[in-house]
Amino acid sequence: MRRLLALWGVVGLLALCGGAARLHAHHSFAMFDTQNRVTLTGTVSKFQWTNPHAYIEIDVPDGNNPPKHWTVELGSPSILMQGGWKFSDVKPNQTITVVLNPLRNGDPAGLLVRITLADGRVLANGPGPTGGN
Amino acid sequence: MRPYVLAAVALFATVVATGLAAQSAAAPDLSGSWAPYRGGRGADPKFAAPPATEILLKGEYKKSWDARRAAEAEANKKGEPLATPAVECVPYGFPRMMSVALYPIEILPSAKQVTIITEAFSEVRRVYMGEKQQPIDEVPPGYYGHSVGRWEGDTLVIDTVGIKESIVAYQNLPHSSQMRITERIRLVAPDYLHDQITIEDPVALEKPVTYTLAYRRLPNYKMVEFVCENNREYTDANGAVKLRLGK
Repeated sequence: MRRLLALWGVVGLLALCGGAARLHAHHSFAMFDTQNRVTLTGTVSKFQWTNPHAYIEIDVPDGNNPPKHWTVELGSPSILMQGGWKFSDVKPNQTITVVLNPLRNGDPAGLLVRITLADGRVLANGPGPTGGN
Repeated sequence: MRPYVLAAVALFATVVATGLAAQSAAAPDLSGSWAPYRGGRGADPKFAAPPATEILLKGEYKKSWDARRAAEAEANKKGEPLATPAVECVPYGFPRMMSVALYPIEILPSAKQVTIITEAFSEVRRVYMGEKQQPIDEVPPGYYGHSVGRWEGDTLVIDTVGIKESIVAYQNLPHSSQMRITERIRLVAPDYLHDQITIEDPVALEKPVTYTLAYRRLPNYKMVEFVCENNREYTDANGAVKLRLGK
């Protein structure tokens, strides 16, 4: 229930801040399919806390096949911190769940919408839906 | 205490008080960090930015602006957005730097110089107070140009010339070397700041464009460092933004 409430909090925040964040965006997000979402649960291989974007690399189990690798683009550290993130929130070997807007060209990568961290906390990609970038 | 000593003390107190009042009336405290205004989170909607004036470009400038916008729309539709210099970690320059997504700015006023530092790309503007502006053609074209400032009552007025022609302005406006930008910065409420920006360019614009950026004070905010490094996005041969995948 608590997680559900947190989720609705995030949804509400996204609804509230959506437009402004994109208005002066760092670049167009048109390479991502913002109409579709993919949910992945996997193991973190790397968390890159850098500007202009942070990235999470995860390996996602794929049945009897080797795990499939995905690259997750986030906002910048500043924008993530505005959304309650810390540089130490994600570490290699943790299991996380991410909701993404996938790349439109079909490559295994996407723009983070929200994450469920290893400790169960749910965070958005900064205070706005795109991380404001 | 003797009467003349009292009188002197009273006179001194009056002079000090008058001086302080004049200073505070003339120069409101703009110091600190400011976030671009956005609705919600208790923000007062009456301090949102007023609407901008119409953009009317001349001849070739209008053609190139229209063409770029059409190309951007087409590229976005295909999911291959056109890259901008920021994709390659190149800073925005003035005036675009004054409003980048949700990134705050920091204002450091002093009597001789007002310094404005942006969080995105750590860009810095220096506004020389009380100095005379240089002729446009004597300012080496750059990202921030040459800015001089003065107080008009409670308003900080900044005049900027010398912005490189490759640095697009508000709404990605193209401009000529003759562009002049006037800012009128003032507190519209103790915790709300407006920067009214007017772009004049007799070569590129049919008439000046005025728009306002609104900010909200961020008390006790500590600016976050921003060094654009290890960029995973890049510009491909077609000028589109692409993402390097990790392993």
